[in-house]
Amino acid sequence: MIYDEPRFLPGGDKFIEMELGDEMSFDCNFLVHSVAALIRQAKIKGIVELVPELSTIMISYDGDQISFADVVREVGALRRSIGSLEDQELDSRLIYFPVLYVDPWTRACYDDYCAKIAKKEWDPELLVRVNNLANLQQLIRVHSGCEYWVAALGFWPGLASHMPLDPRCVLTAPKYNPPRTWTPKQAIGVGGGLCAIYPDQTPGGYQIFARTPAPIWEPTQTLPAFKQSLALFRPGDRVRFVPVDREEYDYVERKVTEGTYQHVVSDFQKFSIKRYHAWLATIDPKERF
Amino acid sequence: MIEVLKPGLETTVQDYPGRKGCFGYGFAPSGPIDHWSFRLANLLVGNPVSAAGLECQFIGPTLRFGRDAVIALTGADMGATLDGTALPLWQSLTVYTGQTLVLGAARLGARGYIAIDGGIDTEPFLGSRATYSMAGVGGLDGGALKAGQHLPLGAPRRIAGRRVRAAARPSIATDRQWTIEVVPGPNDDWIDETGQRRFLESEWKLSARSNRVGFRLEGPEWSFADKAIHKAPEHGSNPSNTIDHGYPIGAINLCGQTPIILVNDTLTLGGFINPYTVISAAFWKLGQSRPNEIYRFKAVTVREAQALRREIDALCGEASLEPT
Repeated sequence: MIYDEPRFLPGGDKFIEMELGDEMSFDCNFLVHSVAALIRQAKIKGIVELVPELSTIMISYDGDQISFADVVREVGALRRSIGSLEDQELDSRLIYFPVLYVDPWTRACYDDYCAKIAKKEWDPELLVRVNNLANLQQLIRVHSGCEYWVAALGFWPGLASHMPLDPRCVLTAPKYNPPRTWTPKQAIGVGGGLCAIYPDQTPGGYQIFARTPAPIWEPTQTLPAFKQSLALFRPGDRVRFVPVDREEYDYVERKVTEGTYQHVVSDFQKFSIKRYHAWLATIDPKERF
Repeated sequence: MIEVLKPGLETTVQDYPGRKGCFGYGFAPSGPIDHWSFRLANLLVGNPVSAAGLECQFIGPTLRFGRDAVIALTGADMGATLDGTALPLWQSLTVYTGQTLVLGAARLGARGYIAIDGGIDTEPFLGSRATYSMAGVGGLDGGALKAGQHLPLGAPRRIAGRRVRAAARPSIATDRQWTIEVVPGPNDDWIDETGQRRFLESEWKLSARSNRVGFRLEGPEWSFADKAIHKAPEHGSNPSNTIDHGYPIGAINLCGQTPIILVNDTLTLGGFINPYTVISAAFWKLGQSRPNEIYRFKAVTVREAQALRREIDALCGEASLEPT
């Protein structure tokens, strides 16, 4: 549920966990980002950083500038200033990613895992089975069939949790057990009900079945998309995965290597939760593509 | 410039308070775990407390100096010598070009700090020189020192002849027992009353499977409140699972039955509860404790935690120094 009054829970002397609800839903996450945006705009002295997550915001603060009680009072007032969630709009960019589905690199990673760690069902086939899909073609159609909401950032520099905005495209999957020791950089995976692009070659647990040549973080800040920040995503961004063939994948990869790739970003949109809810009411959530 | 002859076990460039402003993007702050000893080392050599220095974990490095320098050694006693002559901790020391500083295995404490006048002048990353090994950024090439590397230094300050007053130094436990202050929360209500009492009344052993990301603890079983057991499926199947949320630095993160104190190179979020959080004023104790040593946790309020932090901050100033 989404709480009427948020809970403020101390995390030592420098952090406060603000719990806005206890459910994993788009609405709760939209509230999180609406409140986070208000906190940022308010520029409250002593509030240092925010980690907006699925249903919580971790607030870090400087106890020499603001007390725990004052954070609670000021941030609590901002939460109350949001009358109805329905009236909220958030700035939301749409970022397109070229994706090679059922690619050779995630397959090689899977083979390596089977050889060295444990035998398991091949990730794309597991996703087809667990989600009652007909075949790999439908998996690709379903996964690339909707926009994803950037629900949270973190865990690994650059990593974001993506939530499908169309219930017909929700894919769920168990996580690797034990986890992988490595994952190809920019592999795309599904775990629980969330989707992620791996920012780098890191350990991982999501079922992987695709890869994008477009980076999502770049410490050298060479590509135009990273001039302002090394991490691409901001909370409230949306993502669309566009299936491409190997030739297109290689072309984009060359542009990335040359340092000339321009991420495809629409930076002029607002997300209205009222219109989103109205659209949801028109679809049959049980349908698949 | 300093040449690394031997790197030690895991020696990293750190600065205080580390990398600020990127926590929301998944970057832990890094920085020295025992920030009290680190700041005092900088003060001794006339640096601002924020200047970059070295954190030496368990076994220190061997370094050859390419310029005259004033250095200070604080924190763990690693039996330091300069060209074979034993060096004292907690005071500024003069080193001449070509001399070799050798730090060995920690005899008391776990982390030794080395400050050099002018500070270490590696390329800052996002406004900090602190090494964050997991992401491979900061410090020298994004990781721990390696033999053959060269550490660039800032302009010398040549301030010598100072030491830290005895009362202003952290006192490292010699009996292998530590009392660590925690604030209950954010998720202490996921633990039942028996479990909460057990946590505060038990001895916890620091596991050898610990690093700058997390300190694993070994101790009794945890028991859970009703809300941890009867919950919506999106919270996960284990009682210690919850919907992914942000992790405070210092959180005692409960993974199944294993508590892990999340320290300076922490993961910023995840799907486990954090029933208690170690206060910032207790971090020097984490930094100086060794595997198999014993922690007892003491609950304090947020207000008490902030008062303790101010006490240490006040000790990290010029008033703590005296002439040798």
